[in-house]
Amino acid sequence: MPAISTELLQAIGRELADLAVDPADLPAIQAQLTAQQPGLAALETLDLTGVEPATVLLPGLEGGHGG
Amino acid sequence: MGAEGLTCLSIAEAGAEIRRRALSPVELVRAHLARIERLDPSLGAYMTLLADSALAAARAAETEIAGGGYRGPLHGIPVALKDLIQTRGIRTTLGSTIYRDWVPTQDATVARRLQEAGSILLGKLHLHEFAFGPTGVNPHYGTPRNPWAHGRMPGGSSSGSGVAVAASLAAAALGTDTGGSVRIPASLCGIVGLKPTYGRVSRHGVFPLAWSLDHVGPLTRTVADAGLVLAALAGRDPADPSTLELPAPGCGGPAEVRGLRLGLPRELFFEHVDREVRAAVEAAASALEGLGARLEEVSLPAMRHATPATFAIIAAESMAVHRPILKAHGPAYGGDVRTRLLAGQFILATQYLDAQRARQIVRGELDRVLTSVDALLTPTTPIPAPPVEAREAAVDGISLDVRAWLTRCTRPINLTGHPALSLPCGLTAGGLPIGLQLVGRMFDEATLLRIGGAYEAVSPMRGRRPPEPA
Repeated sequence: MPAISTELLQAIGRELADLAVDPADLPAIQAQLTAQQPGLAALETLDLTGVEPATVLLPGLEGGHGG
Repeated sequence: MGAEGLTCLSIAEAGAEIRRRALSPVELVRAHLARIERLDPSLGAYMTLLADSALAAARAAETEIAGGGYRGPLHGIPVALKDLIQTRGIRTTLGSTIYRDWVPTQDATVARRLQEAGSILLGKLHLHEFAFGPTGVNPHYGTPRNPWAHGRMPGGSSSGSGVAVAASLAAAALGTDTGGSVRIPASLCGIVGLKPTYGRVSRHGVFPLAWSLDHVGPLTRTVADAGLVLAALAGRDPADPSTLELPAPGCGGPAEVRGLRLGLPRELFFEHVDREVRAAVEAAASALEGLGARLEEVSLPAMRHATPATFAIIAAESMAVHRPILKAHGPAYGGDVRTRLLAGQFILATQYLDAQRARQIVRGELDRVLTSVDALLTPTTPIPAPPVEAREAAVDGISLDVRAWLTRCTRPINLTGHPALSLPCGLTAGGLPIGLQLVGRMFDEATLLRIGGAYEAVSPMRGRRPPEPA
């Protein structure tokens, strides 16, 4: 699996996410994402059809707790 | 009993003495403040000490109890809070310089419930910046020292909570747990840490890290004490709609395990575990078998997806929480936390949603296994406390980031939301604590407390305390 380039990350941060990334931070971010890519890709080996992407585990709407 | 001896009492012991008015809350709080004054300059557990207000509250508790107004087992008991939990009129830093002078105008629900139970707030405790890290290393405020070995990590993110309770600088503390942040410092500091079931305890007024993974739980020196604190915290809170109205888990019942079935997971939890940790956890399993429990190997193949799924969820949710703060104050974050947060803006929406769907599969698998056994038994952390300056650790010749090792066995249980209890089960030859993790059915903390209480009575850690500084 090819590594995600720092140039791509910088462009996404600047053009899409509207949160510029200090170039000095890019290698650490790249390393995290690259390390997790195989595991994230492997999620597709699960039979996810028919599973709802619930974002809470229990009934009720998730509430902010920052207060 | 001398003042130092008072600080070693469990909540159950001190509470019984307070109830029969043989022990004054003022005396108990003074003993803790004296110990904090003596030890905390070297341990660094407290961010903010509230000596005057604690003494005033202790005097009020004493008067109330003398007047027949005893509230229960936490009345007059000195406690402390992770500095991520809002306290009205008391600064709450979140372990960040950005919030160095933030004074909330409300109490978190858990802070209020502890106060209503009559406990005495001694102060606010250090943490990993914004609770985003399992080491407890904080570049802004310093790193609390592990009482068992000052050069070792205390664990995080509830680092001060682990250190304060282990060193008897508080009878109990609250921490938060998004990937293990109650259980990891409990394991590394040789105490008890309980992550309740998701929905058992309100997070209202606790600064979030990742909404769907965040929990609040107690750190204590005994299993029974964890149950006492949980009973005060548990219950529906309209301000946190994820909470349910259920009876508080029973505690104080017989610590009896005869006939209970304990599952030892084949996958993940026992793969690549430090030799001494494995030996201690296996000895704990044998001890429980000796008490009448039945051990069974169980299989959880979907658990291998827990780490990437949790990564995607934490990354996306924490970025959503921090995005406005990062835009305004990015350079004020420590590099460790800033780069972990920024990774979240590169998670695709489909990856996040797939992770949430995978979560249902992992959770369902664990639910099914927990119909055939009463609890899982695993190491809490596969390694003992690493040196404070360590960035990587190796097990079985595999070198990984210490953060990956420390969260390996705890993070999956944040994903599933099941309750999990960490309790000490031994020391390495070098004198570092080893933690045992018990994972139970949803909302069945009572069984974990029962198993933990039974094990505690025969544990080699029974009565063991960190070395007392000269």
